[in-house]
Amino acid sequence: MNPVADLLSQRLSMAQVVDGFETERWAICGRVPQAVVFPESEEQVAEILSLSSEEGWHCVPGGRGSWLQGGQPPEGVDVLLSSERMNEISAYEPADLFIEAQAGALLGDLQRATSECRQWLALDPPGGGRGSVGATLAVGTAGPLEAGFGSPRDQLLGATLVTGDGRVLGLGGRVVKNVAGFDILKLVVGSWGTLGMITSATLRVHPTASMDRTLLFGAPDPGASAALASRFAQAPLPLAAVELLVPGDEESGGGASRPLVAVRILESEDAADEAERLLAERAGVAPVQRLEGEHSAAIFANVGAMEEGSDLVLRLSLLPARLPELVEITSQLGGLYDPSAGWGMRLAAHAHSGVLRVMIAKMNRGEGWADGAKDLLSDLRRSLEAEGGSLVVSQGPPELVGLLSAWGELGPAGSFTAGIQAAFDPASVLARGRMPQ
Amino acid sequence: MADEPPSILPDPLTKELRDRLCGVVGDAWVIVDADRLLAYESDGLTAYRRTPRAVVLPKSTDEVSHVLSILSQEGIPVVPRGAGTGLSGGALADGDAVVVGTARMTSMLSLDPDNRLARVQPGMINANLTKAAEPFGLYYAPDPSSQSACTLGGNVAENSGGPHCLKYGVTTRYVTGLTVVTYDGEIVELGGFGRERGGYDLLGVFVGSEGCFGIATEIEVRLLPKPEGVRTLLAIFDRLEDAGTAVTEIMAEGLLPAALEIIDGPTIRAVEASVFAAGYPTDAEAALVVEFDGIEAGLAGDVERAVAQCSRAGAREVRTADSAEERLALWSGRKKAFGAMGQIANDLMVQDGTVPRSKLTEVLGRISEIGARYDLTIANVFHAGDGNLHPNLLFDRSNEDEVARVNRASKEIMAVCVEAGGTITGEHGVGLDKRRYMSLVHGPDELDAMRRIKWVFDPLGRMNPGKVLPDGPDDGKEAP
Repeated sequence: MNPVADLLSQRLSMAQVVDGFETERWAICGRVPQAVVFPESEEQVAEILSLSSEEGWHCVPGGRGSWLQGGQPPEGVDVLLSSERMNEISAYEPADLFIEAQAGALLGDLQRATSECRQWLALDPPGGGRGSVGATLAVGTAGPLEAGFGSPRDQLLGATLVTGDGRVLGLGGRVVKNVAGFDILKLVVGSWGTLGMITSATLRVHPTASMDRTLLFGAPDPGASAALASRFAQAPLPLAAVELLVPGDEESGGGASRPLVAVRILESEDAADEAERLLAERAGVAPVQRLEGEHSAAIFANVGAMEEGSDLVLRLSLLPARLPELVEITSQLGGLYDPSAGWGMRLAAHAHSGVLRVMIAKMNRGEGWADGAKDLLSDLRRSLEAEGGSLVVSQGPPELVGLLSAWGELGPAGSFTAGIQAAFDPASVLARGRMPQ
Repeated sequence: MADEPPSILPDPLTKELRDRLCGVVGDAWVIVDADRLLAYESDGLTAYRRTPRAVVLPKSTDEVSHVLSILSQEGIPVVPRGAGTGLSGGALADGDAVVVGTARMTSMLSLDPDNRLARVQPGMINANLTKAAEPFGLYYAPDPSSQSACTLGGNVAENSGGPHCLKYGVTTRYVTGLTVVTYDGEIVELGGFGRERGGYDLLGVFVGSEGCFGIATEIEVRLLPKPEGVRTLLAIFDRLEDAGTAVTEIMAEGLLPAALEIIDGPTIRAVEASVFAAGYPTDAEAALVVEFDGIEAGLAGDVERAVAQCSRAGAREVRTADSAEERLALWSGRKKAFGAMGQIANDLMVQDGTVPRSKLTEVLGRISEIGARYDLTIANVFHAGDGNLHPNLLFDRSNEDEVARVNRASKEIMAVCVEAGGTITGEHGVGLDKRRYMSLVHGPDELDAMRRIKWVFDPLGRMNPGKVLPDGPDDGKEAP
C-alpha cells in the first residue's frame, strides 16, 4: 500500500480504502488518485478531511464516479472520496413535498421512490438518472427542465456539508420558505467539491402531472429549428421544456440530418391539448410526432444522456432570443472534429435559457491539435463574452482543458473566490484548482 | 416597545462630511435634521425605533459608490434602506450608522420582452415592475403582501416571498443578475442571464443577505408570461383543523395551486369588524383561499377537484369566482387582514415561522395553547401551502406586563416551529428582531460559517451592523 492509502486504512477499515490499479477507473480528468476511500458516514468524511488537512493531501469528492471527466482538472488528487457507500434515502415525506437522501443515492433511485407516490424530482442534469445526488448538486448544471422548474439550486432545500477542515455543517432545512440567516447553501451548488463534501441533501419533489406529453416539431435546417425553438420559448404558456435537437452527421441513416424541436408539457390532459393547439398555431405546422407518458419521459432521458461518449462537450450561451445566432456560430467548429467518427458533431439547446450544448464524438488530433483548438475556442469565448455570453468546456480532453480552462475569467467578482474557499477549506485541501479564480 | 429606551439623537455629521456627501448627491438628499430623520426611525415592525445619524439618498450606482467610499473612509457604518416596509427591524440604524436609501433609484433601466428580462433600479416598487411588464403579457412573480409599497431592492435583501410562492418560488429564483456596491465603494457585477461562467453562486448568496454584504444598485430579474386563466375559491370551515386537512388533501391530490391561504377565526372577526369587512361569516373558524392559474382549459378540472377536497374535509360552504371582480372579493379578507388587526389592537407583533405542511394543524394547536397560557389574543394568517405561519400577537405597548408576555410567547412560538422541523422566519428576515432566535435553528458552526461569508463581502463588518447574526450588543436581550 502507498503511504496515503496506508494511513487512511489505519483510520477506516481496510475494505474502505483502495489503491494501486483499482484507482484507475477513478481517474479524474486524467489524474489517477493515490487512494480512493469509501466513507460510510459523515463522521468518517470529517475524519478523512481532517487527516488530509493535517497531511496536506489533495482531496477530491468524486461521487459515484459518473462525472469524473467533467470540469476543470484539479491540481492534484491524493485522495478521492467516493459517496458509493452513502447511498440511502433517509426521509421521504410526500405530504411535505421533500425527500432527503445521502449524497451517493442515485437520482434514478429517488425518481423511482417518489414515483410510487405520484411525485417526482425536477432534476435532469446531463448524465440523467445514473448521477448521484451529491454530484448533481456539486456540479449544479441544469437540464431542459430548467425552463419550467428552475435549476438544481432551486430544487435544493437543505444539505449537510463536511468542510475541508472537517466541520459538519447543516445548511438550509426542509421547508421552501426559509430566510433564517445568510443563504450559504447556494454557494454549495456548483462548487465542484471545493468547499466541502456534500454528504446528504434535502430536495423538493413535485406532484406528477396527469399528462406528460412531448411534441416533436420538424424544421428544414438548424437555423430554422433554432428560430422555431425561440418562438416556442416566447409562447405565453407554462412549458416544462423546449429543447432544440440537431443530430450529428451520421445520425440520420446517411440522409440529410433533420433538426427537431422537442416541447414537453406537464399539465392536465385538457391543458395539454390546448397547449398543443396553441403551439401548432404558433409554428404554422402540426407536430411530426406526439409522445405521451413514459415515451415522453424517455425522449428527455435520452436528451440527458446524449453527452455520453463525447470527446468534447461545450456549453455556449447568449441571451435566449439569440439562439439562432448561437447555432450559426457552431459552423465555425467544423475543423475541430472528425466527421466520420461516431456522430460527428451534434447540438442540443435549452431554448428558455439560451444554452447550446455542442457534443463532439471525436476531436481531430493532428499535430498541434490542442493549441489549434485552444486558439479557436478562446477566440469564440472572447467574442461570446463580449456579447454578455459564455463558453464553458463541460467535458474535454485534459490536454485541451489544461490549456484553455473550463471557464472564462470571473472578473472583479473573482476577488471573493479565495475568501469563500478559505471560509470552508482553510488548509486548501479540497479539489484545488477546480474553480475559476 | 415599552422597555425600548427613548430614542436618543446620535451625533450629527461634521459639516465637512456633510459637504462631501452633498457634493455627490445634492444638498436636498442628505437628511440631517431631526424632524425629517423621524421618518426613518423604524420600519414596518414599529416595536423598534432608532433615529439614524443621517440619511443619504443617491440616484445611481456611481453615486452609491461615491457615498460608500466617503463613509468607509471615515469608518462610518452603513444601513441600506428601501421603502422601510420590512418586518424585522432590518433597516434600522444604530449608533453612528448612516442610512443609504434607494428612494430616488426608481427607474426601469431596460425591459426586454423577448428574453423576458427586466433591469431595474433597487428603489422601484415591486408592483410597478409588473405594471410596466403587463403590456407585453409578462409579470414579476414574487408578490409580497406589501407589493404596492415595497421595493425590489428590499425584496432582494430579504429574499421576499408572497402568497404565490407556493407554485412560483421566492425572489431568489427570479433574480438573474445584480450590480452591487460593497462597503469600500467597489462596484461588482454578479451573475447575469445568458451566461454560464462558473464560479461560486455569489448572486445566490447575496440575495437574502439583508443589506449586510453591500447595496444592490441594479437588479436584473426574470419575468414570467401572465397565466392565461386564474380561478379562485373560498372555503369556509367551522374548525381550523379541517381547513388544514383540506390543504393536505389538495396537495395529496397532486394539485399545485398558485396560492393556498388560510385566515383563522380571530382574524375573520377582526376583518369583519373593520372597514375592510369582506363578507366572511363571523362564526367560522377558518377561511381558506385556493387559487389556480395556468392554461385556461385545465383550470375547471383543478377547481372541481379542490372543491371536492374542501367539502370532504368538512367545509360548510365553498364559493368560487370566475370574474376578476369576484376574485378580488374572495381575496379581500385575506389581503386586508393585517390592516384590520391594526384597527382592533394598538400594537401587533407578527411572527413568521415556517413548518413542514403536514405539521400545520399540530403547530397551530400549540400556538393557540401558548396564547391561552400567556392570556394573549393570537390571530393567524398564513401561507398554508408552504407552511409559512404568521401568528399575530395583539397587545398594547403601554402595558409592560403584556409586552413581557408577548416576548415570551414569541420565543415559544419560534421554538415550536423549529421543533416541528421548520424555521424561525420564512420571509420577513432576521433583521434586529429575530437575531436572538438564530441559535434555536443554527448551531455554532453554521453561525460561524455565515459570519465568515459576511466577512468575505464586508471584512470590516460595517454593512448593516448588528443584524442577522447574534453577536451584536443586543444579543440575548429578552425584549426588543
